[in-house]
Amino acid sequence: MTTSAKRQSNLAGFFVGLAIVVALAFVARLLKLQVYNIKDIGLGIPGKSLEYPLWAAILGLIVNYILRTAKVYDFVKPGFRTELFLKIGLVLLGAGISFKVIVTAAGGAILQALILVTCVYFFSWWLGGKFGLPDTLRAVMSTAISICGVSAAIAAAGSVLAKKEEITYVTALVIVTALPLMVIAPLIAGAIGLPEPIAGAWFGGNVDTTAAVVGAGTIYGKTAQQIASIVKQTQNALIGVVAFLLALYFSMVVEGKKERPSAMVIWQRFPKFVLGFIVTSLLFTFGAIQKDPGAAIAALKDWAFCLAFVCMGLELSVGQIKKMGWNPVIVYLIVTVFNTLLALLVAWAIFGWLFPASL
Amino acid sequence: MKVKINEDWLAVIIAFALVILAMINVISPTWLKF
Repeated sequence: MTTSAKRQSNLAGFFVGLAIVVALAFVARLLKLQVYNIKDIGLGIPGKSLEYPLWAAILGLIVNYILRTAKVYDFVKPGFRTELFLKIGLVLLGAGISFKVIVTAAGGAILQALILVTCVYFFSWWLGGKFGLPDTLRAVMSTAISICGVSAAIAAAGSVLAKKEEITYVTALVIVTALPLMVIAPLIAGAIGLPEPIAGAWFGGNVDTTAAVVGAGTIYGKTAQQIASIVKQTQNALIGVVAFLLALYFSMVVEGKKERPSAMVIWQRFPKFVLGFIVTSLLFTFGAIQKDPGAAIAALKDWAFCLAFVCMGLELSVGQIKKMGWNPVIVYLIVTVFNTLLALLVAWAIFGWLFPASL
Repeated sequence: MKVKINEDWLAVIIAFALVILAMINVISPTWLKF
């Protein structure tokens, strides 16, 4: 295929893929509206507990299987843009959160992020060493679990010059564990009666990928969604610092080079959508966004998140994990359990006692 | 000079375009309610 023909095919695939994502988001919305008012859909489960992230992810998984079976998956894949939809949703989410809440929650979120990122990163690095994983895979995996899944894995991979397969492996692992956690974490939080701010802080510190954090928060409640997003974005903001330190370590210690990597990497890797989130929150705080526009933006935010959750289901690839062998999977699962328990303890201490977030 | 927009900035641009459309009442909340 010539370059021009390949570009045309990519563009066609992008639009077909995007149309599939939008259609599935409409179906997810329809399903949510159908069951929302049912008091008991069976086994004592109330309809309103089945929020749209769940429907969107399930539909994405089903269509993922169909597209792979029909061997058209690679053609439509360019239209599956989880990160883009998620970032749009997060900027829009800012337009409903007072800046005071962000500042209050960010204090606790920074402390929580510093504790969790440091403990989880070094535990994962140490355990990966015990299981004989290569340094590059250990670095990518540790960053993914301790900070924020896919985008952190890509940032770390750039710093340590990891192999492309290692990024794909870790990305697949992140989604495979994050999807069930998105549903299980709110169930556990409900069972132990966690207040929404603490539950949100727990999801933000524990669930690996930002999309699943927002999903878990959405399932649990509005306050949980807001706190989870603030906590996760604070954690995301550390990507640049970790990428810089990794580049420094790999270049000077592992490869023995004399020159230091530039600190500009901290800005280059900084998630710029966090700035958009802060600006929309300031617009809301200073009264620039009135009632009706605010409601429209909130609905647009739900649409953007719904598109992201559909894409998350569509992008899952179990085949990648089979190729990897069991050792990285075991390390990943042990560290995820460690992260879950530590995050619960830290979230409770910080958001329940030290910096109680009031919304 | 070739300007390259990454995904983060693209998301910010799209989100702000939507915010502006909502602020000037081009997008109505009743069409979209989830």
